[in-house]
Formats: sequence, structure tokens, C-alpha cells
Amino acid sequence: MRWLILCLLGLFAVAAALAVGPAGVPLRELAGSGIVWDLRAPRAVLGFLVGGSLAVAGVGLQAVVRNPLADPFLLGLSGGAGLGAVVAIALDVSGPWAVPLAAFAGALLALVLVYRMGHVGGSGLDPRILLLGGVAVGAFAAAVTTAIVSLAEATALRNAFLWLWGGLSGASWDTVLVLAIYAPIPLVIIAAAARPLDLMTLGEEPARYLGADVEAVKRRVYVAASLLTAASVAVSGVIGFVGLIVPHVGRLVWGQRHRTLLPAAFLSGGTLLVLADTLARTVVAPRELPVGIVTALVGVPLFALLLRRWTIA
Amino acid sequence: MDDRVILAVRDATFRYPGAERDALMGVSLEAREGEFHAVLGPNASGKTTLLRVALGALEPAAGAAEILGRPARSWPRRELARLVGVVPQREDNLFPQRVRETVLLGRYPHLSLWGAERPADHRAVTRALERCDVLHLADRWIWTLSGGEYQRVRLARALAQEPRLLVLDEPGISLDVRHEMELFELVRGLVDRARLAVIMITHHVNLAARFADRVLLLAEGHVAESGAPGDVLTRETVAQVFSWPVAIQEFAGRPQMVPLRRNQS
Amino acid sequence: MRRWAHRTHLAGLLALAVAACARGERAPADGPIAVTDDAGRTVALAAPAHRIVSLLPSFTEILFAIGAGDRVAGRTTWCDYPPEAREIPSVGDGIPPNVEAVAARRPDLVVVYRSGPNVTAAEQLERLGISTVLFDLNRLEDLGPVIRRLGVLTGRRAPADSLAHVMDSLASEPPAPSPQSLVFIVWDNPPIVIGGGSYLDRLAALAGARNVFHDIGSPSAQVSIETIAARDPDFVAVLADTARPPAYATRREWRAVRAVRQGRFLYLPGTLFGRPSPRAALAVREFRRLLEVAQ
Repeated sequence: MRWLILCLLGLFAVAAALAVGPAGVPLRELAGSGIVWDLRAPRAVLGFLVGGSLAVAGVGLQAVVRNPLADPFLLGLSGGAGLGAVVAIALDVSGPWAVPLAAFAGALLALVLVYRMGHVGGSGLDPRILLLGGVAVGAFAAAVTTAIVSLAEATALRNAFLWLWGGLSGASWDTVLVLAIYAPIPLVIIAAAARPLDLMTLGEEPARYLGADVEAVKRRVYVAASLLTAASVAVSGVIGFVGLIVPHVGRLVWGQRHRTLLPAAFLSGGTLLVLADTLARTVVAPRELPVGIVTALVGVPLFALLLRRWTIA
Repeated sequence: MDDRVILAVRDATFRYPGAERDALMGVSLEAREGEFHAVLGPNASGKTTLLRVALGALEPAAGAAEILGRPARSWPRRELARLVGVVPQREDNLFPQRVRETVLLGRYPHLSLWGAERPADHRAVTRALERCDVLHLADRWIWTLSGGEYQRVRLARALAQEPRLLVLDEPGISLDVRHEMELFELVRGLVDRARLAVIMITHHVNLAARFADRVLLLAEGHVAESGAPGDVLTRETVAQVFSWPVAIQEFAGRPQMVPLRRNQS
Repeated sequence: MRRWAHRTHLAGLLALAVAACARGERAPADGPIAVTDDAGRTVALAAPAHRIVSLLPSFTEILFAIGAGDRVAGRTTWCDYPPEAREIPSVGDGIPPNVEAVAARRPDLVVVYRSGPNVTAAEQLERLGISTVLFDLNRLEDLGPVIRRLGVLTGRRAPADSLAHVMDSLASEPPAPSPQSLVFIVWDNPPIVIGGGSYLDRLAALAGARNVFHDIGSPSAQVSIETIAARDPDFVAVLADTARPPAYATRREWRAVRAVRQGRFLYLPGTLFGRPSPRAALAVREFRRLLEVAQ
């Protein structure tokens, strides 16, 4: 029943995203309209993929880092991506893929840094160090980024910050294709870790005694979640709250078991982001709001509502 | 080799990296079917380290740890989890769960990567809940349980693994008299009726003496004494190991330790 | 030259009288040199300023235009017009102003664009005993009052007033009839366009082109590609020094905009169009020419 509602909601979100927009395309003409196929459709599909990826990354990370407040962007990836983008613009690298690739590379660099930091204590990945390391790397990257922007001469660099908060306005079928080919790999890696992740909510030692290869799972899920986040930032900038709130909403409605939680999170995150993007496009038309603001405005009250229901039950 | 021996540690020596002295020195331990084996000793005497070496989590520098005749470290984790159920000292639940869900986690060593839970798994969970007398709590959230109830739930999870050996690390800490007695009775019942092998690390010398078949007394990483409770828990041995004068009194055929006050002899 | 000076002096006085009610000026014909700046501060000088640091390219241009260019002792790195300005020592990019570098030029007046960080810098300069004025300069209408007050401060009232008069008349011209429409695209991802509250929008209106986003009150706004496509401008105007289509022009999603598809771009040189300046009238003429050529 819950699944049915979720799927219907998802379909509704995509349909609304296709039908609604400033160009006022009448319903009859939707299927043949260039506006719909070249602009709204890739944007809706990209929104769904990014929202779903961020939500799944959030679920995985919260289990690995053992912190329910973990958001995929807490790991320093957004700082790294911003730095990459700014460097690409400062060096005037040309080509439509220059900025996304540079942002992705920056995020990966941040990932490697934090990953190595996380191993500092010895054998395994220490979740607390991952978290602290992520915050530190993110802050450092942000500082370097600001320094570059303030020292450099191009006004384009100031707009780079806007890109970082830009959202889905750069969506195209090319971006969708790249993400659609890339994202399933880390998604499957996290899905395969569903059972060990369940065990890890008990703690690392109990999980080990119940048969989980804790170190391998931590590594795999952390890297996969980071790759998903890095790709999301590269195509759509920093969209907060989805990776933080959707996992919690999912747990309230679907429970703890990652087997059901992960697919539910993907669908919920995708739906949320597409709805939020449609609102971002229409609420202050002809202007657009940054979609991250809308995800917070929509996601937080929803979460509060569900929280009340759960604590009463 | 006695085929009722499930786990055997022989003369194990282990030192943690960077430590000044060995955590274990030449320690041996055997866990047999149908036997309740208690491990006692003061703080930092190596009890938990022994557990980790015995289960293959740590590699001893000398000596051997074997499970069913194979080296403990060579056992694949999942396979080992189908044989040995461990209730560690600490568990840190990240997210709220219901009792039935958390006990179901004990079935995971039996589940395949992508496969769903089968009716047999749910039956095993129900059985485990029954044996631990927490079936009536099955749909409760675990944060609503009392300390004693929660410990029994954790035991039920270990039993859901359908193990042959049960290992408990200080299960009675912070439990009151009633709940601790209930726990020990429960474990004793499992040993007697289901022929489980049990290794229990505990601080509670007297309860160990009452319920255990064998006692291993550790002191600063080496074995002080090993054998039946009556043989191990003598006044001299206990006073020396725990560095405190005691008197030993008998109750129901078992030695009970009574710590003396300073001005008593 | 003399007759011109008389006529403009008269016109200047007239304009002064008319403009006396306009934005916060207090400008007696002679006497103490004092103006009220746009932060509400009254700045008084004992004598006309002769060592001025200008922290905005537009102010530098204005100072040269009213004949006070030889008094400019410091400029920002962005101040590139007129060419003589480049020979003046730079005090940095001015964002935010480097107070020490400014003070090292020993100015008796610093002219600053009014913004949050600049107010702080102004206070610091005042503490060092250096007179500072803060001016708004965002729209065409702002040019006249700024020019006048700079005229007062430099003792070049006559040329300043006549120049201000020109600016004011330009600002009060009605928009030309506009058969053509355009959009100003400043950035592509996310799409940022120029709105109705801005200098460029005004130039376009005077040149005879309607900004399709004139209805947005703020100077710039983020919109979607779809909105631009829906409003179907005839041209896409970009600030660029070379006549090359921007990188995004080849992307499929941008080709939903007709003007992009047809390659109808207007390239506006940054130094002339990028900021409100005394060359506004020239900018409007150039704009008109570009529109005609692009037909």
C-alpha cells in the first residue's frame, strides 16, 4: 500500500514537472513540444536521478558514519567540488563538460583526503574521524575557493558560486545519460550491502559477530555514497536536505531494514527533488529559487509531521 | 579429540600493539557441548582479549585457537556466526527498532545476500523469543524495555542464530538481583536442555560458582586456576587474584566468596 | 570656449536650481565646499580636493570627464578608461578597499561606491582623518547627482553641471519605440538575466529594444531557460569584447531559445556598457548601431 502511494506520488511529480512551466504548453501539445522534450523532460529525469542518489547516499552514510545527522555533503565533497569548479573557471577551461568534470575531480580529491584521514587510527575506517575529517576538508576547500575568487580578476568566478547553488537548470539529455550510466554502479554496491548495514546499526563489534565483514562494508559503502554525491554535485551543484531528511522519513514509514529502506529512499528522494524543482520554477515566476531552499522548506515540515505520528504510535 | 569440544584455545599469548606487557600469557580454554564455562578475573586480567582470540578476531603471537578443529581465524565470518552466538558487552543501537526486528538480525548469517527471510527464519525468531521469555514483548520498541528485558532480547538474538556455542561478555552488568538470576537460570536451562556450550565472562564470582560447570580464573593475563568451581575458588587463590582478603562459605554445594572488612582477620 | 562657458554656466545654474530638490544635495553657488553623500553623511572640505583616490571605474571616468583627471592620485585595477587613467597608481581591486594602500596615496578625498563593506572602509578612512564620500551609482539616473557633487568637491562645478545636465536629459528621455526585443544573459548555469531595475535595461530602452525581463524589478535575477524561450526575445545581448557566440550557444537545451538558434547575438563591449558612465549617450548610439547592423 505504501509502495503504491509512493509510486503514484512519483509519477505525479514527474507528470507535473512535464506539464507545468512558464512556456504554458497546453496539455494536448505536450508530447510534441520541443520545450517539453528538450527542457522539462531531461530536467525532471535528472532531478529524479539526483534526488534518488542523494537519498540512497544519505542512508548508506548515516549507517557507516553511525550518525543520524550525517548528510552526504558533510564529507567535504561539496567544498572539493566548489574548488574544482572555481579552478576550472579561473583557468578558463573551455567546453561544456569542463566545469562538471572539474567539480567531480575536486570532489574525488576531497574523498581521497578524507578517506586517508579516516584510516589514521590504524586498521579500519573510524566513523568519527570520517565525519570530522569531512568537515575539516570541506572548510579548507571552501577557504581556498574563497581565496581564489577574491584574488582573481574574472567576474565569472563570482558566478561560479551561483553555479554551486544552481540546481537543475543545466539539465540536458547528455547529463542524464552520463548519470544514468554511472549511478547504477554505486547504487548497486550500496544495495548489496543492505544486510550488513542492518547489522552495523547495532555497532561494529556485534555486527562482526553476526557475520558482517565490517571493514569491507564501511569502505565500499563510504566510497559508493561519496561517488554518488560527487556526481550529483557535478551535475547540479549542492542540494542539501535530501540526503539528510529522506532517510529519516523512510525509516519512519518503512522501518529500519535496508532492503526496503534503500529502494524506498531512492523513490522518495527522486520524488521530493522533482516536486521541489517544479515549485522552485513556478513559485516566484519568472524568477527561480535555488532548489535547495525548496527541499528544505518542503522536507522539514513533512518530517515534523511524520515524527509526531511516530512518537504517538 | 573429543568431538564435544566446540572451541579450544591452547597456550595462547597475545600483546596489543604498543602495550607494555602481554595481555594473555599461555592461556588455555575449552568449550564443550552441554557445559557452562565461566571466565572470571579482576579488571584488565585479559578476559575480553581471551574471547577475541578464541573467536579469531585477534591472532595470538603464540599458541592456537581452534573451532571445531579448524583455526579460529580461518573460519569465514558468516559460517562462524551460524555456529557461535555472541552477546558482546556493549551494543549501541543507532536507530529505534522493535524487538522482533532486532532479534531477526540474528538470522542474517543464515540468509543469502539477496534472498528474503523464509518462514523457517521467522519460526526460529519466535522460538528464540519464547526460550528467553520475551515473546510477549515482540512488538515493543526496544527503548521501552527494562535493562533485564533488553538483555534477554539480546540473548534471544544470539539464540536466533541457532548456535552450538553461546558466548556472553559480562551480561549481568547493571542488572538487579532478580534480572541477573533470571538470566543465569535461563542460560543454565539452555545448557541443560538444549545442550548448548556456554562461555560467560562475568564479574559475579558467586553466581558463576553457583551455575557454572567449570571456571577459568585469570590474573594479569595468565591462568591462576582452572577447573570445577569448588577446586578453583579457594580462599588463598581468590584473595591472591583479587588482592583482597575473603572468606569462602559453602552454599548448596558450591563455594561462595565473602569479602572481608579491613579490621576482620 | 568662453561663450560656451557662459552658456553652460547659466544652464548649470538653472539646472542647479531645478536639481536643488533632487537627491540630497546642498550646493550653494559659491562658498563652503560641502555635499551630502548617499549614506546621509555631510562631507565638507576646506578647499577643492586635489589628491583624489577613486575606488570605482565610473568615478574615475567622471573625474576625467569634468577635467579633474590630473587630480586623481589613486585608482582601482579595474579603472581602464580613459587610457590616461592607467598611468595612475593602483590601490588594488577595491573589493573590499585596501585602506592602507589608499591612505598611502595621501589623498584629501576618497570617492567610494556605497555598499556594506565599503561603509566600513569609509569609517576607517575617516578615522585616519581622510574625507570620504559614498555614492550610489547603479542606474542612469544616478549619474547626474554624482557628477554634480563631484563637481562641487573638485571645484569644477561648471563642467560638472553641464555634463550632469546631459546625463539628466538622457535619463528623462522616454524609451524609443521598440519593435525589437532582447534578453541580457549574464551567466548560463544557472541562467542569470538583467532585469528592469538596471542600467543596461535603460540603455536598451533608449536604443529602441525592449528587455523581455523588464518586468522583474531587480537588476538581475535567476530564471530558467524555458522562461527565456517562452518570452522569445529577438536578440540575446551579452557583455563581451569579442564577437564570438558564447559557449552555451551550441547546447541543445539552449537552442529552445529562438535567438540562440538563429545566432542573433549582440556583443556589448564591457568597458562601454558594463557600468554607468559619462559615455552613456555614446553607449546608446552604439547600441542603436548594433541593433541596425544585426538586422
